[in-house]
Amino acid sequence: MNNETQNPYEPELGSFENVDEQGETVTKTGTTTVGISTDDGVVIGTDRRASLGGRFVSNKNVTKVQQIHPTAALTLVGSVGGAQSFIRTLRSEANLYETRRGEPMSTHALATLAGNFARGGPFFAINPILGGVDEDGSHVYSIDPAGGVMKDDYTVTGSGMQLAHGALEGEYDESMSLEEAESLAARAVQAASERDTGSGNGLVIATVTEDGVEIEKYDDATELI
Amino acid sequence: MQGNQQQAYDRGITIFSPDGRLYQVEYAREAVKRGSASLGIRTADGVVLAADRQTRSPLIEEESIEKIHEVDDHAGIASAGHVADARQLIDFARRQAQVEQLRYEELIGIETLTKRVTDHIQQYTQTGGARPFGVALLIGGIEDGEPRLFEADPSGTPYEWQAVAIGGGRDDIQKHLEDEYDPEMDLASGITLALEALAAADDDLQPESVHLATVDAETERFETLSTEELEEYAKEADLGGEDDE
Repeated sequence: MNNETQNPYEPELGSFENVDEQGETVTKTGTTTVGISTDDGVVIGTDRRASLGGRFVSNKNVTKVQQIHPTAALTLVGSVGGAQSFIRTLRSEANLYETRRGEPMSTHALATLAGNFARGGPFFAINPILGGVDEDGSHVYSIDPAGGVMKDDYTVTGSGMQLAHGALEGEYDESMSLEEAESLAARAVQAASERDTGSGNGLVIATVTEDGVEIEKYDDATELI
Repeated sequence: MQGNQQQAYDRGITIFSPDGRLYQVEYAREAVKRGSASLGIRTADGVVLAADRQTRSPLIEEESIEKIHEVDDHAGIASAGHVADARQLIDFARRQAQVEQLRYEELIGIETLTKRVTDHIQQYTQTGGARPFGVALLIGGIEDGEPRLFEADPSGTPYEWQAVAIGGGRDDIQKHLEDEYDPEMDLASGITLALEALAAADDDLQPESVHLATVDAETERFETLSTEELEEYAKEADLGGEDDE
């Protein structure tokens, strides 16, 4: 009967279908996404470009960070279809969990669930950042395509990750305020947008605090720096 | 023919009686009353689960009578009724505790654990050809640092309690708990109260026939007390046991 047959590695609703990995015709985010944790919350910064085969900008206004939980957000990195499906799946699981138990999932539980789905699911080549705030504070995780889940104070994923890391390294300070972290995330996304062909067209900043998730679009990083 | 039809509702599990009752579920509750008693007490710093093991013969190995079971490090279950039915539910609960770890890497909450088990029990009251579980459970443990205690009955309804008894002699034990329970009591007082309450239904309660386990809020660990430890508490509670030695 129901609970016994539930595979712990799969979503409760829907199922993992066999989808073949597609080639260059699939829209990819390319992308630079940055997550920074502070005492007051988490800042997530992303660019806004989607591309085809790394040579054509197919969309200049993508919001690559979305709320998936009252106090957590996830970035879209990799195949757009895979990342969107991943977000829908996690969002419904987080909603079910909360309505059943009367309290939201912890960030660690959400990261574990995301790792299980990335490992077993048909999402392909996704490499999101999860940022969340719970009773234990602020948390940033990166989730790799094989389901690896790694927690860090700050992290970067996407095609511009090396450039953004260069901007972050040495600048991060665990005592920084939310505003300082927003500025740092903007600088890191800006650095990657200048040189990485998969990143650009302005940026989106999400702030996750115990009060919720706020997502703002900016045409130019200078508005924040 | 007419007579058969009128009585059918107490045979089929999925059939309501004309006054809206499910007789098979009520009969399952009777099966619980035929079992020896178990109780649970929630104290300020942990949960106590205790049971009186009925022995058919002095030759039986007491250890083989299963009344209290560890589900995970931080949770335990006491049962009353059909032991074989209880074993199925205990194993279901143990697997659910591990599923929570696989899925979320977290300890399962006691309320969540209880509701998983009661939802499972409920399915056996609504499925053709099935028979309800002839057992009631007390599910206790620590959730987010807080002691929690729940009851699951054969209908699959979950109840949360401060202190509760199930099984044979339930009424006497519950009465004692209602008279003596204090939500501020510590774990040691909870153990003493558990022994006194079991003695309320069994004048000749022997410490060696009691199975008692605790889940301490501090350590979040399920631990079974030894007979020696129980004898110490029994002395404190001024119960029989040492008189016979």
